[in-house]
Amino acid sequence: MASTLSVARPVRRGSPLTKRRSRAFYLFISPWLIGTVLLTIFPLAYALGVSLTDWDGVSPGFRWVGAQNYLDVLGDPETWASMSRSAVLAVVVVPLTVAGSLGLAILLNQKVRLRSFWRTMIYLPAVFPPVASALSWKLVFDRDSGAINAVRAWFGQDAVNWMTGQQVFVVLLAVMLWGIGAGMIINLAALQDVSPELLEAATLDGAGPWRRFTAVTLPTISPVLLFQTVTSTIGVLQTFVPALLLSPTTGAAAVTAVPEANRIFMIDVYAQYFAYSRYGYASAMLWLFFLAILVVTVLFFRASRKTVFYSVDPSSDGGK
Amino acid sequence: MTLKELQSSKRAHPYPVQSPGHERGTRSRSGIRRRSTILVTAVLVFITALVAFPMYWVLATAFKSPEQLYSGIAVLWPLPSHIENFVEALTRIPFLPYMLNSLFLATVNGVLTTLSSALVGYGFARLRGPGKGIFFGVLIAMMMMPGIVTLIPTYLLFSQVGLVGNYWPWVIWGLVGSPYLIFLYRQFFAGLPKELEEAAILDGCGQFRIFTRIFLPISKPIVVTAFVMSFLAVWGDFIAPNLLLDQSNTTLAVALSSGYVNERGFPLNNLIAAGSILYVIPVVLVFFFVQQRYTQSFSSAGIK
Repeated sequence: MASTLSVARPVRRGSPLTKRRSRAFYLFISPWLIGTVLLTIFPLAYALGVSLTDWDGVSPGFRWVGAQNYLDVLGDPETWASMSRSAVLAVVVVPLTVAGSLGLAILLNQKVRLRSFWRTMIYLPAVFPPVASALSWKLVFDRDSGAINAVRAWFGQDAVNWMTGQQVFVVLLAVMLWGIGAGMIINLAALQDVSPELLEAATLDGAGPWRRFTAVTLPTISPVLLFQTVTSTIGVLQTFVPALLLSPTTGAAAVTAVPEANRIFMIDVYAQYFAYSRYGYASAMLWLFFLAILVVTVLFFRASRKTVFYSVDPSSDGGK
Repeated sequence: MTLKELQSSKRAHPYPVQSPGHERGTRSRSGIRRRSTILVTAVLVFITALVAFPMYWVLATAFKSPEQLYSGIAVLWPLPSHIENFVEALTRIPFLPYMLNSLFLATVNGVLTTLSSALVGYGFARLRGPGKGIFFGVLIAMMMMPGIVTLIPTYLLFSQVGLVGNYWPWVIWGLVGSPYLIFLYRQFFAGLPKELEEAAILDGCGQFRIFTRIFLPISKPIVVTAFVMSFLAVWGDFIAPNLLLDQSNTTLAVALSSGYVNERGFPLNNLIAAGSILYVIPVVLVFFFVQQRYTQSFSSAGIK
């Protein structure tokens, strides 16, 4: 086989040049390859191992308990409660973020006065570190010195303690929605990719603004919307820092003091690990979470097959 | 979309439908447009006010004395303003040492991440080897992978090999690169013409030389973006330093969230506000400095 090819093409499979090139390929990607094995695959396998034990993270000994941790997690109403809080958070935040940031992008894709000023202001909170966002909203919602209660006082209403009870969930939502500018920027770039010729052709065919939006703009930007939906769902489900920082105390005790309404899934996992030292149990939770994220992602891509329109087959450029 | 196109696309969309009020139409239609422009502006003012208010409130809080803070009435701006809050925010906790920790970690990690991601991105864009398609698929999957899922087991492993309480994990993470930035580089390098390296190959240049002499220099915008993004990621990160570092050598993000309390453990809100502002200022400065490039490559990181 090689001999016939070698007549036609001096560079053939297995030739020194090709070999050298593939060696170069492996050398170049080796930092990532080694890192992925050591820092992702190995820890995941390790967590899987731990999840089959009753290890408390402190004592040297542990027992294999098989699938018991998984059964315990699935049988624990606390887990279901924290998981459903995370799900509610995602159901509220993801559509608002995706649709809201698209709406903002459409508004700011028009020629309006001070356009770049509006863009910058709306985008700015998205670059704030999570700690800064959480602390800012904590100050706004503070019981005694916050703005919200001050406004309530103007209207003669009593001060509300926003950091307890169900109210704290509102604060968490505010923190999370504050970063909407990140999605807006992505959508702006996507909108500028929409073909002006297509829009013009649609206008000539008598399409109104709404029809142009649904028939031209939306299909063009649909991959971007899918990407945002998937990433923001994953992002929201693993929310941790804002909920932790809205706890009334700080330090190691903070995670156990998070108000019930904000005891979302990752808070629960963290508490099981580091407050209750149930390493096996918490590792099982983490693995179930990992599987759930995997399922959600696959479902999104499945469901999107018919609704998302790719002008270029995205799988075709993988092997260039 | 290439970077050039993105930069030029900052201008208004060429298509008139997207830009009402700027196209000459019949008199009645331009009337509708003017009204819709007013409506759009009103909506934007409202949303911007909503988004900007917390920033304003933090700023106002940072200048209040404890008495002004708890006076029970909403003051739009505290008078007299207490600038000394900032001095106290700097001294009540060892602010500058913590800041130097953050700066050090973010710089070291940023430089390493930027270079290693470029290296790997180049490999994926310009080189070939068996299994490349599968590896690329894994890379994409990594972008979707929730980071916190591996962070806790990684912490458990690090604690067993003595990597807790020091800065080595940030060096290791930096050497590995970030899937997102690798993808960003890969997209950029893949779009460059083949002629770039052909002459160099004929001259007998190795791939590494081609990478450092030709591709890295022309990818300067991406390099800047990658550095800024990885720098800000470490600067803003709370979970990793919280898990891996001690009270003595932690970063500003962690110290800020727990340091400003009085003797009885109650939060000192004006100092929290002042400290937060000092913590965010570098981020905002970097943001304005590289705004255009940053947001644009961020958005084109591309989904395509």
